[in-house]
Amino acid sequence: MDSSRQFLRQSLGLIRRRKELAWFCMWCAGIGCLFLWDEIFLNAPAFDRVRAALFNTLVSGAGAVFLSLVLGWASGAAFFLLEQRRARYSFALLSLVANAIRSLPQVVLVLVGYVLLNQLILAEIIRSETAQLAWVTVTVSVAVFLEVSDTIRSRLEYFRSLEFIDAMLCCGISESRIIHREILWRNSREHLLHKLIALFGVAIFLQCSVDFIVSVGLSTNVSLSNVPLTLGSLLASVDSKQDILALSNLFSDPAYITEIVVRHLQGVSAAFCIVFTLVCFFMIANGYARSRRLNGP
Amino acid sequence: MKPFEISIAQDGRPLIAVAGYPVAEGVLTILFGESGIGKSLSALAVAGLVEPAELTISVDRESYAHYLARGDVREYRASGFFVFQEPSSHLNPLMTLRRQLNEGSLARATNEPDVIRRLWQGNEQEAASILDVYPKPYRPSGGEKQRVLAAMAFKKMSLLRPGSSGFFVFDEPTASLDNRLRDEFIDLLVDYLPQAPAAVLLITHDYSIVARLTRRHARLSGKVAFKEMYLVRGKQEVRDFEPREYLGWVSSLKPLGPGTAPAEFVLRVASGMRVLSRSYRFVRKEGDANAATLTVYKGRMTYLKGGSGLGKTTVLKTIMGLFEPEKMVVEIGGRRFTRENRRKDWSRSVWGRKMTMVFQHADEALNQRALVRDVFGGLPGFESSERNMLDALAKLFDAEAEGSFLNRPVYTLSGGQKQRLNLVRSMILQTEILLLDEPLSGLDLKASAKVIHLLEQQLARGSAILVVSHNEDIFDALTRPEDVYLLEGHKEGP
Amino acid sequence: MTRPPDFLVGLSDSLKGRLVSHAAGVVFVAVALAGFALSFEANAPAESAQERHLESYLELNGVDFGDPLDRALFRESLDRFYPGQAARNDSLLQAIDDARVRRWSGPGLRRGDTNRGFSPALLPEIAWQFAQFLLVYILALLGIYFGAERLGLYRFVKWKQGRESYLGESIRIVREYRHARANSRVRFPKGAVALDILKALGKGILTTLFFSPAYVIAYALKTSVDTSSLPFMILLALVSNGVLIQASNRFFELLVAEDRKGYVRTATVKNLHTSYEWNAKEGVPVRVLYRISQNLGPHVLRHLYENARFQFIPAMKELGSFLVTGLVIIEMALNIQGRLSYNLLQQILFGRYDVACVIIFSIFLAVKGTEVFVDTWHDFERRRYGF
Repeated sequence: MDSSRQFLRQSLGLIRRRKELAWFCMWCAGIGCLFLWDEIFLNAPAFDRVRAALFNTLVSGAGAVFLSLVLGWASGAAFFLLEQRRARYSFALLSLVANAIRSLPQVVLVLVGYVLLNQLILAEIIRSETAQLAWVTVTVSVAVFLEVSDTIRSRLEYFRSLEFIDAMLCCGISESRIIHREILWRNSREHLLHKLIALFGVAIFLQCSVDFIVSVGLSTNVSLSNVPLTLGSLLASVDSKQDILALSNLFSDPAYITEIVVRHLQGVSAAFCIVFTLVCFFMIANGYARSRRLNGP
Repeated sequence: MKPFEISIAQDGRPLIAVAGYPVAEGVLTILFGESGIGKSLSALAVAGLVEPAELTISVDRESYAHYLARGDVREYRASGFFVFQEPSSHLNPLMTLRRQLNEGSLARATNEPDVIRRLWQGNEQEAASILDVYPKPYRPSGGEKQRVLAAMAFKKMSLLRPGSSGFFVFDEPTASLDNRLRDEFIDLLVDYLPQAPAAVLLITHDYSIVARLTRRHARLSGKVAFKEMYLVRGKQEVRDFEPREYLGWVSSLKPLGPGTAPAEFVLRVASGMRVLSRSYRFVRKEGDANAATLTVYKGRMTYLKGGSGLGKTTVLKTIMGLFEPEKMVVEIGGRRFTRENRRKDWSRSVWGRKMTMVFQHADEALNQRALVRDVFGGLPGFESSERNMLDALAKLFDAEAEGSFLNRPVYTLSGGQKQRLNLVRSMILQTEILLLDEPLSGLDLKASAKVIHLLEQQLARGSAILVVSHNEDIFDALTRPEDVYLLEGHKEGP
Repeated sequence: MTRPPDFLVGLSDSLKGRLVSHAAGVVFVAVALAGFALSFEANAPAESAQERHLESYLELNGVDFGDPLDRALFRESLDRFYPGQAARNDSLLQAIDDARVRRWSGPGLRRGDTNRGFSPALLPEIAWQFAQFLLVYILALLGIYFGAERLGLYRFVKWKQGRESYLGESIRIVREYRHARANSRVRFPKGAVALDILKALGKGILTTLFFSPAYVIAYALKTSVDTSSLPFMILLALVSNGVLIQASNRFFELLVAEDRKGYVRTATVKNLHTSYEWNAKEGVPVRVLYRISQNLGPHVLRHLYENARFQFIPAMKELGSFLVTGLVIIEMALNIQGRLSYNLLQQILFGRYDVACVIIFSIFLAVKGTEVFVDTWHDFERRRYGF
């Protein structure tokens, strides 16, 4: 009994000290409560749609984050090595492409991805829903990976400003070991994890927004493609939109909230999942940076 | 004010537990000790400058909040000053030095012209031009920034009135000053001491201060206390330091290596090297019109000295191929290198094979997030077995290097331990040539003696050593006069 | 010796390099977009083949694609012929619908011009839409710059006061009460605890609002507010999509990072004011939260603020780009007729990629323009501080 109480106390202490854990628990609890509520008050097909949409969104977001890490790591290290070796032309070319991607708003890049997806579906190159989701994931990662790349470059720059790299080079240690193992893995993985958590939020935001935009197009009888259900496309469906529109009744009649949480659940659930996930992951990223002191000099 | 009892812990792990941290009113206390054992953190705690949210602190067995609320503490904090280490980060980059020198309570002090004149050794025009710049990493130089911070302390000292008291800390205030400036700083401090009812604490590794104070200011014997902080079973202790201990040790030092000059040189650097728009030449003594070729012989140690901020480290790094020179001719182990050579030429045949370099700041040169055993990973020709690593460490670490030492994260080591680890990493490579940048930085006398012994072994093995250091007392004694060079540099172009 | 062009004289080398790189970026993107548009143009015959393929379905006797029953039967037939290819079958049905729309209500018919591609006649319309877009963008960006600084400053002062969390504050009050109760009879501070809980609730609602994607807020308000007006757009761009929170958080983090730097401690030992109580004698005046130009007097916060502000300037590039993303989403998701982004969406949906590329290029120019402005501004500040 005492040991379980002590365990509970330790866990609570840990959660109090580390805000990221507290917010992660909060996210799990929030989604859990929503599902419980939906189980009771939302009809089964709609609840299935909410669950599938959340699952697809999270999987796609996580995939985009993973791909961003791969792309960002490769491009960040390439930038650094090209600069270090004074390969001016290759460096300039890489910068040109990176700057172009940077200056195109992320949502436009993702939209272009959807245009290409439409072409690929029409040409029957992409058929399954999984492949479509994978394509969307790749598209989102292309729109956001430069943030990982920038983090990697700034970490490498920081270590170049110290004597770290030079001291190791002089001992005959290989440059790739210094960059990948000593700097990025040993000294920057917390910074990268922080960036990836923050990017997870951005990826979900982008994906939901573009899915919403594209799906809203459905109402005009013209659409790009039938992508798998995500929170964005679920929110854009006519039922959900009605649910969200109903929210404005709250201004004239606050008691209408009882109707909202019982009768307009599909749209409200989708919106809640999006907003709550964005808030929680922002807080998790912030809490992690604070507890690991990643924002100091 | 009387000596303090301080304890500081982080997440339940004790960092400092010291009784008798040496502070006394009207006394200049010089505190020596290996870097990283808690001299500065203790001083920060006494001065109320530690963020209490991050550490558990008690001073004189009182909680930190109670200690800071004490009337006497409030007074000596408000009237005192702290000259922090690393002058670069302790000045606001977006404010001119002149404005920073006249901010807050410093605006009331009237002694600025006198302090500036003395710290700039009469060159007031140069000082005036420096005070109007915004401090940046490379301009003004570290020495100039250090003098500005010292000037702030002297201005604040002049505001002390009889009956009040102030706590003044100078943390490594001479690290970026050359010998003449260091002596001027000490003289100024000694001149201010009788005028101000202050408790002055000077934290340093620069033992040559001892020589200046004992030879020049012997009359102050009661006003100056020499102390040393050291670790005993993980706890800090403070004891009296005998100036004779240092003076006797220095006078016992003899030149390292064989007495006769062997014909074989392994490294030669021509005068006239130009890098980062500065031109460098080597001379045998100050004011020498003839430039010399810096020559380093097998089995011998060569000592390159020069004023602070002149670019000694830059010259070493250029020889190592880390900077792109505008002009250079260097011969390394029989191979000629010029500005035409690329980085890959050094990486293939020089780095870690023919020549290696030990950098000054062990904190930056080592991976703090690695374990001690990881420091040996990836070194060419070194098999990083446990036995080999422990053998290598034993040369500089005694009993500390046993058991779990290999599994300690580097950031948990003291500054002195890190510096020794930094040296060991390069020395086990057994290269023909070893470049050392301030190898005794952060070490106490005992550790310095060990490093010197290890250098002797390296020379006996046939290695050649080129050393750069501001510890002139020590390295002048360890090097034969014919192997000592003076670096001169001047800016070229706009 | 060649002289640099007049407009480059007086600029630092690093800024010149950046401007050249921006110019190269503009050329690169222009060429890439032109290539993209042309490649679709080149694919046009293939599209016609596709069209002919669809025609054969449209001309099927006895199938009325406007009738839900016929559509459902056709869809089932497709599943029989191409089993396990639901996505392909859906796409085909969709393509047939597209073809019908093009035939009966296609853009040519709607717009009254029969030219499917880009024509210079479209330029004034796009330029006017772009001007409106730019106006909203610039005003929202200004709002974010000032809002982020003030919000960041507010959070920082609360953090220094140790009162960042209202819930934490209420727990502290309850603890103090329990501690005090052990020694003497005291009344439970109901009012203070309730106020803190209310504040926490308000903060939670505001945070949720700030993080909501714009379309969620806009749809929730659509029946009571004119969501297509310019002022609403600016307000929505400011308070939605997490832009303001992200920006103020960036400024707050910069202040926290600066607070740990050594020069702050040097300022402290010079007896500059260090209290963070609002309007206290040596504290922080509340006016810092609403004044445009800051004067913090002899307070260490002045050092921190100036340094954080200086470093915040380059962050405006990233925030600008994110704001554009937010604006595009708002205009597209709310289906606001006659707006640049909605036009872009329409062009993409109707497959007029050349017009879409022109619009994308104009949006790209807005971001690039921000980058050039911010780089020039930062360079000016850098030179002012002797970098």
